[in-house]
Amino acid sequence: MNSSSPRSRRWRRSAAVVATLAAGALLAGCSGSSGGSSSRPENEIHVAVYGDATNKVEEAVVAKFNETSDVKAVLDVIPGANYQQKLQTIIDTDSAPDVFFNWGGGSIKPFVDADLLLPLDDMIADDPKLEDAFLPSVFDTARFDEKAYGVPMRGTQPVMLFYNKSVLEANGIAVPETWDDLMAAVETLKGAGVTPIALGGGDQWPTQMWFQYAYDRVAGPELFQSALDGDADAWASDDSKEALGMLRDLVDAGGFGTNFDSVKFTDGGSPALLRTGKAAFELMGSWEYSTQQNEDPEFAATDLGYTTFPTVQGGKGDPANLAGNTNNFYSVIKDTRYPDAVEDFLKIMYSDEFVQQQLAIGNLPTTTNTPDFLSTAADPAYSQYQFDLVEAAPSFQLSWDQAYPPAAMTPIHTAVAQFFSGTIDEDGFISAMQALQAP
Amino acid sequence: MSSVTARRGTLGSTGTARRAGRPRTGQAAVGRPGSVWALPATVFFGLFALVPLVATVWMSFVTWGGIGDPRFVGLDNWTRIGQDSLLLKSIGLTVVLVVLSIAVQTPVSLLLGVWAAGQQRARAAVVAIWFIPLLLSSAAISVLWRALLDPNFGIPGSAPWLFGDGNLFGHQGTAIAVLVFVSTWQYTPFHTLIYQGGARGIPAVLYQAASLDGAGMVRQFFSITLPQLKNTVVTSLILMLVGGLTTFETVLILTNGGPGTDTLVSPLYMYQKAFSSFDFGGASVIAVALVVVATAISLIVVKFSGYGEMRSQAEGV
Repeated sequence: MNSSSPRSRRWRRSAAVVATLAAGALLAGCSGSSGGSSSRPENEIHVAVYGDATNKVEEAVVAKFNETSDVKAVLDVIPGANYQQKLQTIIDTDSAPDVFFNWGGGSIKPFVDADLLLPLDDMIADDPKLEDAFLPSVFDTARFDEKAYGVPMRGTQPVMLFYNKSVLEANGIAVPETWDDLMAAVETLKGAGVTPIALGGGDQWPTQMWFQYAYDRVAGPELFQSALDGDADAWASDDSKEALGMLRDLVDAGGFGTNFDSVKFTDGGSPALLRTGKAAFELMGSWEYSTQQNEDPEFAATDLGYTTFPTVQGGKGDPANLAGNTNNFYSVIKDTRYPDAVEDFLKIMYSDEFVQQQLAIGNLPTTTNTPDFLSTAADPAYSQYQFDLVEAAPSFQLSWDQAYPPAAMTPIHTAVAQFFSGTIDEDGFISAMQALQAP
Repeated sequence: MSSVTARRGTLGSTGTARRAGRPRTGQAAVGRPGSVWALPATVFFGLFALVPLVATVWMSFVTWGGIGDPRFVGLDNWTRIGQDSLLLKSIGLTVVLVVLSIAVQTPVSLLLGVWAAGQQRARAAVVAIWFIPLLLSSAAISVLWRALLDPNFGIPGSAPWLFGDGNLFGHQGTAIAVLVFVSTWQYTPFHTLIYQGGARGIPAVLYQAASLDGAGMVRQFFSITLPQLKNTVVTSLILMLVGGLTTFETVLILTNGGPGTDTLVSPLYMYQKAFSSFDFGGASVIAVALVVVATAISLIVVKFSGYGEMRSQAEGV
């Protein structure tokens, strides 16, 4: 190659200059969060939401808001699977949404720490209903240092034990109330050639649900809370080991069959097992109901049973404790150009109309006026059951992967999956959890 | 590369000839193949390859989680590599996956490509069907196979005599086998196409001469086809190597690195570091390492295969 010709040298030099300049511009863009509200869109507030079936309610809310407001709301639907990734990538730029969906807790803690979010206390002082209209246990999930950073939207999503009524009946099994009942049911069902419990292990987060409840029932909510507060020794405690031992027994007894690592909830695999009677139980968030309803309304209405997680004898946790997604929240970016418009938008979240719309599609809002409209729900009995559970729950544990900051999600998912498939033992799990960065 | 130099030489001399023919007006350069012609490609390459590359190298020296300002930490990200057992595991897995893919894809696509080079109409029809996976996106292919391989409702559910309990994604060996199989299904058509083109370029007179000398089909394949396809094989190899080193979406959708971290290849690990753990510095280190390794491997292959000299195999015919 004739590389030393003056022409190619000149070329290379200018190419290098161009590349360096462009890189410089790019980097300046990356770190240019100096922002200020002026560079944000004019006469618009952007509302980012998690893309799924609930979006039709959000579209209606935005349309209603835009009828009366001069500042128009724009709904940005972000595909669900990558919501958190996309959010964190744009949140410190001028393209950040004014208002965004989140899970409270660890999912917004890094943004609070980086001083990116607007404390809502001024808005609440202006309109106390922005706080009072919601159940306190739910509202507090988005409170940090006595300041409110989120207003509940959508619904609460407790995790419950779902079952196929016909399968239990056919095998003469009563709905399990204790862990021992469950273990006995596993033996019976295995004998009948039915996978006792459907588990979408390929998704990993369904596996995590078993840990959340086992730990809560054995040790109470305090163990996880102290781990979250930075006490890594909590994971090595006797209670922790007992919970892990229970889970190990359940897995080894064949409670989940042998191929759960290849099954997913998200592609419809595990719900289909439950629906077709190839499995008897599934531990899942309240969305199991709408998932089944989508596939087979008759099954959801007549054959799908639901109950709370079994109690554990001698366990410290209250059997009424719940785990799952406490609620979803709207939080507000500090840089927003139109805080007044945002306040008006947030007020819709406790309106009668909004609550009715959520109930109609099977979501369960946690406003104080929700009970008034429970009879209008898609399935009143199911909504009433959940609402009573949430209202009576002494503790509602936010999903582990949402309670920790986003960076912990992959390590948690990997640890629970590896423990179930037997790649790591108790000690491996404990050290994996101890390695997590507390918020 | 000699061919580039040669072409430049020709263009240069044409230009000189023309310039001599008419007075220099300053517009002389217009419409003449010169460096301006390379501008669109150069700008594109610069903007979407060089700039991100430079930015990635720079990011490997900072700590940044996507919010706030990046903080310069010198070589911290690089020195952390040594303690990262997952990174070593992911590199090992990447190598295994690339080697297996090449070992399976090369013979299949070579044979198919040579077969497809024939002029018969039936072959054209079969080849057209065979090329369909080439038209589908990797994401669609991965979702499709994930559904087909569902242990309860997919193929394994109907063929327990072959798949047992169908837990293909639950063991490292079978999960890797699935990845190799799906990438073979997806990419073999492309490499077949390359071999088909290469095989069609072999002068028929070579085969005629070999027939006269009494060489059979197998002998012709090994003594004429294979040596004549040497450059094609190298091209295909480099594409498989570099493509394999950056395989991402297939793994993400099919196994997501599972079970546990048993199929966590380097590109997926890089993605998780950047967009799940929000450690852009650490992710950039992996990215730079991947670029260096892929470049080095390509250069080594080019050097030792003699590919760089680009000698036509048809010379002297």
